[in-house]
Amino acid sequence: MQLFSFLAIDFSKIDPYPAELFSSLCVILLLIIICIVVKIKSKKVDPLKKPKGIMLLAEMFVTFIDGMVAKNMGKQFVKHFAPVIGLLSAYLFLSFIWGLTGFASPVNLYVVPLIMGIITFLGIHIVSAIYTKSKYFKRYTSPMAFFLPINLISMWAPILSLSFRIFGNALAGWIIMKIIYGVFSLMQVGAINLGFLALVITPVFHAYFDLFSGFIQTVVYIMLTMLLINSEVPDEYQQLETDNSVDN
Amino acid sequence: MLFEFVNFLADAVPQEFIMKGLGAIGAGIAVLTGIGPGIGEGNVCKAAVEGVSRNPEASGSIRSTMILGCALCETTGIYGFVIALLALFLVAL
Repeated sequence: MQLFSFLAIDFSKIDPYPAELFSSLCVILLLIIICIVVKIKSKKVDPLKKPKGIMLLAEMFVTFIDGMVAKNMGKQFVKHFAPVIGLLSAYLFLSFIWGLTGFASPVNLYVVPLIMGIITFLGIHIVSAIYTKSKYFKRYTSPMAFFLPINLISMWAPILSLSFRIFGNALAGWIIMKIIYGVFSLMQVGAINLGFLALVITPVFHAYFDLFSGFIQTVVYIMLTMLLINSEVPDEYQQLETDNSVDN
Repeated sequence: MLFEFVNFLADAVPQEFIMKGLGAIGAGIAVLTGIGPGIGEGNVCKAAVEGVSRNPEASGSIRSTMILGCALCETTGIYGFVIALLALFLVAL
């Protein structure tokens, strides 16, 4: 703790077990339960009939993620990266809309977006090491040797930009919702408390800040993850799936 | 003149009040980054409207690309917002 003394943070005041961590565990438990249910159902279901209910949703989701990965990263990534991308997007979107249940949303704790940024960072460097093999360390001295300090600093940029984007959006929405609820709790005309108006008006803002903003941030996060990882693949290994309708 | 005024303030006002005031001013300045994303998102929407008016069949893909671009443009504003929050909660409040 001596390391951070210049920030003048009183670490004894910080809650070691924040509520957001328990929310995050709840989201993961929910995802595990959904996965187990889908797995059990997928063994019973008849592949020749039309899927129904939760199977239909699961198949749509898997097809969507597979198509996105094949289009943005290349066909060789579908087997190993589509599950990762699918899990990240499902976790992030559920975290965003977990605030609707009344519990703390996991993305309001900076650790959660930071870990998501670190996952992308690891993906970038592992894929780069796999494809360039022994030439991996050349990326730090490209295009010239004296670019080494600049490259060493700029390699951390994806973590910061991805995590700040998610965290800032979630926190901005959370603060605006707090302000709106505060305004409604204070609104009073004579002896009548107008707080019941919040029932009508706040769902609109919840739909924007939790559902819409969460969906957009999820799409942006997985798109950026895929594009950043794909940019590490050398040109001769690119196997991007092109859309036939665009060709003509 | 200005220096005298600042010196007078520094003597008259307790140190922590000056710290808090400067933190609040810093937070206000940091939030001014919103100007940049505002102009940027305006440009994105302008280009999208031009694209739709030239090629109405492509409006679906243009809309999704536009929303993605808007979310990317927002990022710099978000940085300023996070810095402003840090200044508020670590210094000003």
